[in-house]
Amino acid sequence: MTTMTERNMKIRVTRYRPEQDDKPWDQEFEVPFNRDSSILEILGYIKDNLEPSLSYRWSCRMAICGSCGFMINGEPKLGCKTFIRDYVDAGEIHIASLDNFPIERDLVADISGFVEKLETIKPYIIREEEKPLEDGEYLQTPEELEKFKQFSQCINCGLCYAACPQFGRNPEFLGPAALALAFRYNQDGRDEGNQERMPFLNAEEGVWSCTFVGYCSEVCPKHVDPAAAINQGKLASNIDYGLNLVGLAGGKK
Amino acid sequence: MNRKPYIRKQSPTWWVNKPFYRFYMLREASSVPVFLYGLFLLWGLLSLSQGEASFAAWMEMAGSPASSIFHVIVLAAALLHAYTWFQLTPKIVVLRLGKFRVPDQWVMAAHYLIFVIVSAVIIGSSIN
Repeated sequence: MTTMTERNMKIRVTRYRPEQDDKPWDQEFEVPFNRDSSILEILGYIKDNLEPSLSYRWSCRMAICGSCGFMINGEPKLGCKTFIRDYVDAGEIHIASLDNFPIERDLVADISGFVEKLETIKPYIIREEEKPLEDGEYLQTPEELEKFKQFSQCINCGLCYAACPQFGRNPEFLGPAALALAFRYNQDGRDEGNQERMPFLNAEEGVWSCTFVGYCSEVCPKHVDPAAAINQGKLASNIDYGLNLVGLAGGKK
Repeated sequence: MNRKPYIRKQSPTWWVNKPFYRFYMLREASSVPVFLYGLFLLWGLLSLSQGEASFAAWMEMAGSPASSIFHVIVLAAALLHAYTWFQLTPKIVVLRLGKFRVPDQWVMAAHYLIFVIVSAVIIGSSIN
């Protein structure tokens, strides 16, 4: 039973088929939608009924897997969390692969560089000496958790990288999500790995490539606010520099 | 596997079509008039070092209509620069007093308060 009348929307999809195409091109579709239709569902409709060769990534349909990031009318958004009804006034919807990443095929961005960056900053708890299992967990208080909880909500969707002009200019930049995650572990009271991460933060490709554009925080679907993490990281980097200058931090410069 | 990822280069006009980026560029560009004003003041200092006549000439130039327009532009740029900076401060200044986290608005308000006090002192002392 449908309680909503179905209408049509013009959908323009930027396609790229590496076997045939030298550069991306746009393909248009007329697609029926109702009040509940998300971009992801519309792409499913196109693939099932109009263009079986269309490629795109998705999994959970509920903004937790971070797979379905696209440029939607020029803004980085999750397909599952963006609804056709909000674009009725715009008259058409343009869907393209995430900006600043290479296009693997159609709407599939090659995010492997981003994943490598995540690994670089050692996103796990580092202890100088591991406690034996029988000694139990590493404890923390709710106040300690509060210091980094927000920054741990990242789902690695890459929208912040598509939003970041500094990453677009220099793909070597570690970028919002990786730097936010590094800051998250540095803030974690159970972690003792600061000095292993600071060289990555301190580097030219670390926090200092950020010019606080702030669009990463604007587009983040989980309100992680990576811009805040990076710029608090600049403060930490300055303190680390000062301590190293007088030989107190004991870390690699 | 034969891969052929398509790599896009950032266009020089990347910021033109998005209001968020345009405002960012305006914010960054506001540093240019402020920089020019620094040069302007250095020029005055240089004139002062070259004697009374030279400084009087600089003062007269500083009172010209063109200079007034320049001052209005610099003031607007400096205010925009201050406003955007104050907006960002709570993201960096995170103050915790035990369990209490100082609200963002307080951090911003403190900046505005100091700004107003310092401005009042400077303007007040230059009037006397």
